[in-house]
Amino acid sequence: MPKGLIYGVLGPNGAGKTTTLRMLLGIIEPDAGHRTLLGHDSPREASDRVGYLPEERGLYPAMKARDAIAFLGALRGLDLKTGRKRAVALLEAAGLGHAVDTKIRKLSKGMAQLVQLLGSVVHQPDLLVLDEPFSGLDPVNQERLEALIIAERDRGATILFSTHVMAHAERLCDRLAIIAGGKRRFEGTVAEARGTLPMRAHYVPHHDGEGVAALLPADAVRAADGWTFTVPDNGAEDILKALIAAGFGISGLSIERPGLHDAFVRIVGAEALDDDARTLEHAA
Amino acid sequence: MTRTGNTRRLIRQTLTIARRDFIATVFTPTFLIFLFAPLIMGSFGAIGGLGAATVASGSDGKTRIVAIVPAAEGAAMKTIDARLRQIFRGRDERPPELVTQAPDADPAARARAELQAKDYDVAAVLYGPLETPTILYGAQGYRTADYLAELAEQTLRADVTGGVGALSRATKTSVVRAKASIGGKNQAAFFTVFGIFFLTLLLAGQAVGTMAEERSNKVIEVLAAAVPLESVFLGKLLGMFGVAVLFVAFWGTLVSQVTTLMPAGMAAGLANIGPAIGMPAFTVLFFAYFTMAYLLLGAVFLSVGAQASTMREIQMLSLPITIVQVAMFGLASVAASRPGTPVATFAEWFPFSSPFAMAARAANRPELWPHLLALVWQMVWVGITITLGARAFRRGVLQSGSGRMNLRALFRRRAPA
Repeated sequence: MPKGLIYGVLGPNGAGKTTTLRMLLGIIEPDAGHRTLLGHDSPREASDRVGYLPEERGLYPAMKARDAIAFLGALRGLDLKTGRKRAVALLEAAGLGHAVDTKIRKLSKGMAQLVQLLGSVVHQPDLLVLDEPFSGLDPVNQERLEALIIAERDRGATILFSTHVMAHAERLCDRLAIIAGGKRRFEGTVAEARGTLPMRAHYVPHHDGEGVAALLPADAVRAADGWTFTVPDNGAEDILKALIAAGFGISGLSIERPGLHDAFVRIVGAEALDDDARTLEHAA
Repeated sequence: MTRTGNTRRLIRQTLTIARRDFIATVFTPTFLIFLFAPLIMGSFGAIGGLGAATVASGSDGKTRIVAIVPAAEGAAMKTIDARLRQIFRGRDERPPELVTQAPDADPAARARAELQAKDYDVAAVLYGPLETPTILYGAQGYRTADYLAELAEQTLRADVTGGVGALSRATKTSVVRAKASIGGKNQAAFFTVFGIFFLTLLLAGQAVGTMAEERSNKVIEVLAAAVPLESVFLGKLLGMFGVAVLFVAFWGTLVSQVTTLMPAGMAAGLANIGPAIGMPAFTVLFFAYFTMAYLLLGAVFLSVGAQASTMREIQMLSLPITIVQVAMFGLASVAASRPGTPVATFAEWFPFSSPFAMAARAANRPELWPHLLALVWQMVWVGITITLGARAFRRGVLQSGSGRMNLRALFRRRAPA
């Protein structure tokens, strides 16, 4: 993983995202293969430089927000006094200044989740691992979380997060990996992922008629006010020239790059989903 | 990172978890209930004892022994009875009050009638000539029958020697032994085993449920990501041990003050009870073995309890855990009463009874070196138990590896990366 980037791990349910992250962090041991975390073969040796927000959030309910953040920092080598000071600053920056001395059990789920995220960054880690960080958050808190992730990246940290929500990945990720059935299916930038699918054109003729379909590619389908087709590898210029020459004209034309969602579906594909089913069956 | 750096980090992480557990336990209102639990137990015991004593004293006044003898013999018997009663002190079981009656035409029938009396209980009745008296006694009166026989003997002897007054006047001087007696050492050994057993029964059992908090709050994932599970286990154990030390210090201070308030006679009696190894070394060893007993049994309970996912499962585990503790107590008690026997040697070596049995050994035998060896041996087993517990937790609960438990997998070293 390149340093200083936001790196997304995408995959359908049961693809192995959480298992991969847990193996990387040393929570569980791999059956085979090896991992390297921040240059260390043993994840434990790098644990003070890593922050982690698990998918299943958990804090001690009787702890105050400030103490909970300081405790999580202390586990990663930050002394408690510094941890408490930083906790107050982080809580205030995240709009939770009023909750500094509030016990976790009295916070809403979203607020507690933010407190836990702050606990995972209080020691200013080089690598921040977030497992499905946006699940269970309302839109306001999702925005706060996105801002926090970007702020951490700007500080110089590398962020590795898993999600199956494409919108977040599309907005945040500098690079991403798509996994399915326990295997990596794609690795690259968001643009590269989207580039795995050809562009789609939406064409609205000035004069529609029976001959239009014959001049369009074979996959052209009639849309409400025109036609939609895949742009060939050599571009749409020749097709458009032919349509104009035939007198159909161009009333409207838009060429769209497919979204990450489409790319994900294409990359993961039916085969990978079958692999997932087999994996789950084997696990059961 | 260097090995020293790794060790330092592990210690720091362990202490962070220990500190959290200690604070979370001590700074709660329920801790006060826990701290004063012995007082509550003692109060119930005192109330029960008081009730039993009241019942006993109530019946004491209504029970008597009867001597159907001529008036002159009766008076002599009363005088001797008064002198003999001086032997009984404090909690000694005194004979019931002596009542003398002059004989009538059929003393045998009267004696039987006395045993059936409705207004009072008669434990035993003597009648007939003092040379060959007949003594009848009820269900609980065998000992009092002996007392009546002795009274007859002493009365007759007084008659022969010409008076009921004492013939011998002894000078009594209390002497305190410089060293504990053999019986005193055995008693000290038993008290030691019982003391450590009682403390671990009260305190180490708490370790069963400590991982439940992390599992129910889902904090375990955060801990496991930051800290090796062995450190989590040890940290939790140390945190609870801190609570136990606080408890012991509190009650230890109170109890030590109580002994200073004891009557001189009782304190002198206790001087007979003492450890063979000497009090200063014994005090250190007692604490060391309590620590080891706590850590060893606590590690077992923590490991077993960590596998439980609900409070119901944890409660179900309480019984087998108590049985294990009592079994270790039984084994160590045998070691305390029969030092040097094969059973005692086994108890000293078997890791989970070793702290109890070795503490008993400190009371029975003066050598110091076996204790140093035993403490190292026990520490090794604390490490083994924690490691096995953490591995079982990783495989069974975190589903690391195949998720299936087997003994070979449990002992397998992790493959180098």
